[in-house]
Amino acid sequence: MSTEAERNIRFEKLARQFSTDLYRYAMWICGNDALAKDLVQETYLRALKALDSLKNEKAAKSWLITILRREYARTFERKAPKFTDIESVSVQEDDELEPDERVERQLLRQGMASLPPRYREPLLLQVVMGHCCAEISAQLGVSKSAVMTQLFRARELLKKKLQEDGVTGNVHELF
Amino acid sequence: MSMNFSEFKKFLGADPLNSDPETLRARASGPEFEQAAIDASDFEQKLRSALGVAAPGEEFLEQIMSVSRRPSPRPRWFAIAASVLILIGVSGVTWWQVNLPRTIEEYVAVHYEYDGMELTGKASTDFDVSTISAVLAKLDMGTEKELSDRILFIKLCPTLNGRGAHMIVQSDRGVVNIIYMPGTMVEDQRTIEFGDMEAYMVAFEGGTAAIIGRADQDVSSMDQLVRNSLSKTI
Repeated sequence: MSTEAERNIRFEKLARQFSTDLYRYAMWICGNDALAKDLVQETYLRALKALDSLKNEKAAKSWLITILRREYARTFERKAPKFTDIESVSVQEDDELEPDERVERQLLRQGMASLPPRYREPLLLQVVMGHCCAEISAQLGVSKSAVMTQLFRARELLKKKLQEDGVTGNVHELF
Repeated sequence: MSMNFSEFKKFLGADPLNSDPETLRARASGPEFEQAAIDASDFEQKLRSALGVAAPGEEFLEQIMSVSRRPSPRPRWFAIAASVLILIGVSGVTWWQVNLPRTIEEYVAVHYEYDGMELTGKASTDFDVSTISAVLAKLDMGTEKELSDRILFIKLCPTLNGRGAHMIVQSDRGVVNIIYMPGTMVEDQRTIEFGDMEAYMVAFEGGTAAIIGRADQDVSSMDQLVRNSLSKTI
């Protein structure tokens, strides 16, 4: 098998394995479907060019996220895009929810969109990308204890949002 | 040293699904600890569910993967590259919307440039004919024997609108490439030229097929064969 063919196979494997998660992550950092797809495509384009520098396949996900975050920062270094599409993006099993659950979900999504990036990003890395605290620490270049604090505060802000908007239930038990 | 309740709640807020031994020990240290862990887990489920953006679909994946299949630019594509740059400058559209071929003419030419010759090299009379029906079945298509007897190679391929099939077919004047695009419709038959090659577009109920060969191969003469042999199975 030629080197180029091997590279293509390796690249396609990365695309199949991580493109959906990267899209979800991108969607939550930029809030716009077209921009999120653009970001992911640009990420993979850059990944393809630098594929030989990825020595350890286990580090692939973090490597791709790093590329995506850099690309996002580069593209929107002056002005962050407005969240426009999050509320309209479909979520699986929406129809199976009770009305109050649907409201709660909607509030959580709004809350997530309005979180300051320093809280939103570690939470996304944990919830959407499945990173542990140590991996988030390495990705964001901050200490693990700082990550723990950011994650705690992010969840607190989301719970507060639910409380302020009158959603009742066991969420309130946490306060 | 075990966590007190306040520390435990903070820990849950940061890492609610953690199940290392220390967390489990803390959780078992009292009913309020246990309840806090249950509540944190419930909240986490709601959060994960709320953040569950639907997957973007197979077409998006195909677009990403096509990046690696894209051929290196060759001189006669400088004109296309230039027009792409002009498009970017004029309309400000994002690169991925313009970097892929936008018209069927561009697509056919780029696709043939990419692997037309390579696949022609794979053409063989020993080709396993069961592959033909297997590939076409994935597109809900079938073929009559008249065409399948002439197919020397077939594979699925990306097209402008979903998946298609790339075939190497024996014509009366030598081997030709046929790119079948079930999701693409053109209004009428037409021939396009690129380099030394020409492609005849067959428009029919099942989509569009581009028959690609040299000018002396008279690819348009295969119109009826393709039109009559490829058909939808559902």
